[in-house]
Amino acid sequence: MLGVIALRNLRQGGKRTYLLGIALALVTGLLVTLMSLSNGINDSLVRAATTLAAGHINIAGFYKSTPKESAPIVTEMAPIKAIAEKNTPGLTRIIDRHRGWAKAISETGSMFAGLYGIDVAEETALFESLQVASESDYQDDGRADVRGDPRRLSEPNSVVLFAAQARRLGVTLGDRITLRTETLRGMSNTVDVEIVAVMQNLGMMSSWNLLLPKQTILDLYGLDPNSTGAIMLYLDDIEQSPVVMETLRTAFDEAGYTVMDHDPRPFFSKFEVVSGQDWTGQQLDLTTWDDEVSFMSWILTAIDSVSFLLVLVLAVIIAIGIMNAMWIAVRERTREVGTLRAIGMSRGRVLAMFMLEATVLGFIATTVGATLSVILVLSLEAAAIEIPVNAIRAILMSDTLHFVVSPTQIATAVIGFTLFAALAAVWPAVRAARLPPITAIQRTE
Amino acid sequence: MKTLLLSTFLFFPAIATAAPTQAELTEMLVTIDERQRNSGDYKALAYIEQKERGKEMTAFETVIYRRDATDKMMILFLRPKSEAGKGYLRLDKNLFIFDPSVGKWERRTERERIGGTDSRRADFDQSRLSEQYTPAYKGESTLGKFAVHHLALTAKEGVDVAFPVVELWIDQKTGNVLKAQDRALSGRLMRTVYYPKWRKIFSESKGAEVYFPKAIHIFDEVEKENQTQVVLRKVDLNPLAENMFTKAWLESQSR
Repeated sequence: MLGVIALRNLRQGGKRTYLLGIALALVTGLLVTLMSLSNGINDSLVRAATTLAAGHINIAGFYKSTPKESAPIVTEMAPIKAIAEKNTPGLTRIIDRHRGWAKAISETGSMFAGLYGIDVAEETALFESLQVASESDYQDDGRADVRGDPRRLSEPNSVVLFAAQARRLGVTLGDRITLRTETLRGMSNTVDVEIVAVMQNLGMMSSWNLLLPKQTILDLYGLDPNSTGAIMLYLDDIEQSPVVMETLRTAFDEAGYTVMDHDPRPFFSKFEVVSGQDWTGQQLDLTTWDDEVSFMSWILTAIDSVSFLLVLVLAVIIAIGIMNAMWIAVRERTREVGTLRAIGMSRGRVLAMFMLEATVLGFIATTVGATLSVILVLSLEAAAIEIPVNAIRAILMSDTLHFVVSPTQIATAVIGFTLFAALAAVWPAVRAARLPPITAIQRTE
Repeated sequence: MKTLLLSTFLFFPAIATAAPTQAELTEMLVTIDERQRNSGDYKALAYIEQKERGKEMTAFETVIYRRDATDKMMILFLRPKSEAGKGYLRLDKNLFIFDPSVGKWERRTERERIGGTDSRRADFDQSRLSEQYTPAYKGESTLGKFAVHHLALTAKEGVDVAFPVVELWIDQKTGNVLKAQDRALSGRLMRTVYYPKWRKIFSESKGAEVYFPKAIHIFDEVEKENQTQVVLRKVDLNPLAENMFTKAWLESQSR
């Protein structure tokens, strides 16, 4: 009965009801869109991080020949890999990659880049995730057809670049670039490598990572073939990474390895700390994928913070609107309230009637807003709209607008805003319920 | 006797026509090191100018401080204003950099490029060629109007140097290094360094003259358009204050 009255009252509210409904729908739609964008960035970050830079769990570490000289390598990789395989529940894949840092120099440009030494045979998932770019993606007058084969990384002294790097260096398929770095003992070394493929960008991270054969990194740094940069573990459930990492820490402790305290930062941020410590030999460092890209989490935090502030301001404005609308409704319907009270309706039911009115308005408006927003977001995702500005590409970690819709978040937004609308109506409804019937009837006569 | 042999070889090349022996080559390096060695303190004003492909030219005014007896070294940046107070401090085998803008010290490799230029710490430090390298004779040649000895140096086992192979062109007449080429482990030519003029100044502590290059021209052979010019001025061999060569002293220069 109350529901029917609430719906009737909303209809009678006319323009006021529609305006409030539209405002609520817009704010809900905005929130859903921003949350989908944030999810999209997070999705891009996870994809880029776990494709290029990290496994779900990483077993890396530092080797110190003297207390002051530290190298980010894992010596004696085989037994460590065996312990990891034995003690990782839900393990789907295990690989290892060599790491390095070098200046890449072409005829016309140069840039610093992180190096990843990979074994083509191990990296099927990597090549499934990456797509070869056409020359027109990185050269203004480039060919439109797709050429190049990243599997040629099995050839010595080959390199795979990303489109942004190829553009910056002014190079194309078949060109040679020089990588200049220092060995672990500080000696200058170089290698000339041939570009065997240029891949499509994978957000910000692909702008500073190059892929090379493992042997090239070993030669460049003068490393032992039994060493590696990091052993990367992939799980069937990425959410289990922190738990599994703790299990592995215990396993390595028990196996007699020294494991560094968990430091949720990427390996390259730890040199200073490790160099200042007084020990020699090997220490293992276990991290999760998000530790290795923690330096980029500020982007998500910033977008989420801006979204929260924006939605909060709009929500406050709407709350004031709802309260105002309810005040007007209470004032206009004082006679009705008096009559209802006179014929025996309790205060509680009067309160519930007004609350229900706001709740119904909130539910319908937020559902419409969320539905329209989901349609918009899915359409934008399907259209794969290219982002023209490099800085925005870097921030969004994708070359195209990428959204991920979360049903849980949508449900939360709808329920949250509906409750919010109901709460905004509490005070006017309480005032309406408190009106003595005689006063209400007299006031309207 | 060694000195006599070397003098004969360096200053009378027509007499010493045969290729020098290993001992004579080593002695040649010892002489180069010895000439630049100062047993006391050293201070010089150094202007470092860096030209880099696609970038504006950068120039630094720095002061080099050395206490060779205890192997300490310091490079303090004076200009540009944005770099003033920044400095490198070498203590034992450690090289630290201080950045006053963040008030932090960081440990760097001894092979650090100074201020991001093509110059390195070793370019400003005392010469240690005989300690670090084994020489081989490549022959006589000319460098412009100068008759030179051409040497190839290979880093000794276990010694950490930036370049494992260095070629030297030594003026037959004066014994000064005129040109050096530094090669990477891969054999790739990395830098060509010219020392067009040498100066000498009497050192009270050494009781002899100390040689120093008036200018150093460094050409990057990998990034061909990059080059660094270093000009040394106001070389002073008088004793420096005892409390220098500490982190506290370097930090105090930016306050």
